Amino acid sequence: MVRFDRVSKRYSSGKEALSGVSFELEHGEMAFLTGHSGAGKSTLLKLMMRMEVPTRGEVVVDGSNLSRLREGLVPYHRRKVGVVFQNHQLLFDRSVFENVALPLLIAGTSLKETGRRVRAALDKVGLLGKEKLNPIQLSGGEQQRIGIARAVVNKPALLIADEPTGNLDPELSAEIMNLFSHFQQVGVTVLIATHDIALVERMNKRRLILQNGQMIAGQDFNSGAAHA
Amino acid sequence: MPEKTTTQHGASAATLGAGEKFSAYFRNHQMVAVESLAKLLSTPASSLLTWLVIAIALTLPGALYMAVNNLQQLSGHFEASGQMTVFLATDIRETDTNALRLKLGSLDQVNKVVYVSPEQALEEFKEYGGISEALSFLDENPLPAVLLVEPPLGIDKDELNVLVAQIKSFKHVDSVQVDMAWVERLLALLALAQRLVAVVGVLLALAIMLVVGNTIRLSIAARTEEIRVIKLVGGTNAYVRRPFLYTGFWYGAIGGILAWLMLGLCWILLQGPVADIAALYGADFYLQPLPFTPTCWLISSAALLGLLGSWWSVQRHLVAIEP
Ligand SMILES: Nc1ncnc2c1ncn2[C@@H]1O[C@H](COP(=O)(O)OP(=O)(O)OP(=O)(O)O)[C@@H](O)[C@H]1O
Ligand SMILES: [Mg+2]
Repeated sequence: MVRFDRVSKRYSSGKEALSGVSFELEHGEMAFLTGHSGAGKSTLLKLMMRMEVPTRGEVVVDGSNLSRLREGLVPYHRRKVGVVFQNHQLLFDRSVFENVALPLLIAGTSLKETGRRVRAALDKVGLLGKEKLNPIQLSGGEQQRIGIARAVVNKPALLIADEPTGNLDPELSAEIMNLFSHFQQVGVTVLIATHDIALVERMNKRRLILQNGQMIAGQDFNSGAAHA
Repeated sequence: MPEKTTTQHGASAATLGAGEKFSAYFRNHQMVAVESLAKLLSTPASSLLTWLVIAIALTLPGALYMAVNNLQQLSGHFEASGQMTVFLATDIRETDTNALRLKLGSLDQVNKVVYVSPEQALEEFKEYGGISEALSFLDENPLPAVLLVEPPLGIDKDELNVLVAQIKSFKHVDSVQVDMAWVERLLALLALAQRLVAVVGVLLALAIMLVVGNTIRLSIAARTEEIRVIKLVGGTNAYVRRPFLYTGFWYGAIGGILAWLMLGLCWILLQGPVADIAALYGADFYLQPLPFTPTCWLISSAALLGLLGSWWSVQRHLVAIEP
């Protein structure tokens, strides 16, 4: 599903955020990406969304090599990937329903189908009754779950999340992580970057560890799983 | 939520049929068109400001055009008459005058000939104050006899020139003056005015594009976050661009309609006084409103300018926003 082949990323500032990172994610696999602050976790996820392009190496997602992807096809690649980022998240000038429906609106899904899928997604994250509210009226955890509903509403094959439990209490964090493993159970490939080591250990999943832009553990599929 | 790993994403955009895709595309256009108009109407104060700026910028060349158009019609009125004054030699005898008069009257291209004797001419002159005193110093009447020749209405310029040459060639004719000089001067001025309309029009068209472009730039800036999110979840550049282009279109189109209303108001206000003046001069003339075709041009070019202005702005500012 995802393959990084000796990927390096140097920002225009000269900072090498990733150096020679290689790993693969199988279809339907769930993995965590950990490492100290500044290790390059967000950079790695951005490469998968083609929000950044690697300086060296190849990133292949769902069979397409992102370095060779034509600019015009980038949006269609992004539609195949559900994404939960901490910053630029929800739009506060529209309702919960409209926020979640956004990817479907963009893809041109029919209104009937949109309504059905949005409600299904909201149901999954346990916010079915709140579709008419404005996200600003919801708690941090609820907002986070709206972001997740939006990420999965288009039934993506791959779901990536950057610190989805950022500033939530441990109980809510565990709940959110359980939500992600539910998606894995129905066949979605999931990759989550997080600082929350305790939670990762409890989840018993494969763990990719970055340190100063290098992957120091988990790159090998079997050892990663065994390690966890 | 997805049932199978390999096909789950296909269920969204990829498996839509061509027809379905097209209707979804069309639906999106329709929705964005309506939504962008609704958005403008929901902030009437700021939208109205832009609309008025555009309307005023269009009213100016529009009014000039209307004026030129009317003057052209007015000049057409007089061009058609082409009346001429035939000055006779001072030593002409009465019998020759009568003969000439009949000869002119028998020409195909002459409707009417009126004889004005030197005495009559002097009488007419005396009616103008001041000149009569000057004339009284002269021993004899200096004015020549004159034949006023009126060609048929609608005679064209070439025929008129032939007629003038013909009359000039007659014996006892001193000179022929066609009362066209001022019409020609008016036409030259009108040509100039037309050029002026074009120049003012181009400048104000640029101004409209800049105004719309700048307004769109501000609304892009206000919606940066939204644009980032849309691009992040797979919105194409065309999709992101669409609402702004429609907004520009509405700015232009409604500005154009307002300009048309303003021109109509000008017409209503001026029509009465113009008719009064025309009546004073005994002219059968009234102010024409902006005709249908130029009205269509006005409104559609306004819409196009709005579209171009927003396009220009979008190309510069939107593409740079990336998630
Ligand atoms: N747009 C950018 N331009 C220049 N340098 C950047 C940019 N984004 C990130 N970096 C640098 O690249 C390095 C890796 O950043 P990244 O955001 O990937 O780290 P991270 O592992 O996500 O950290 P955190 O846990 O704090 O979110 C950091 O040193 C950061 O300063
Ligand atoms: Mg980060």
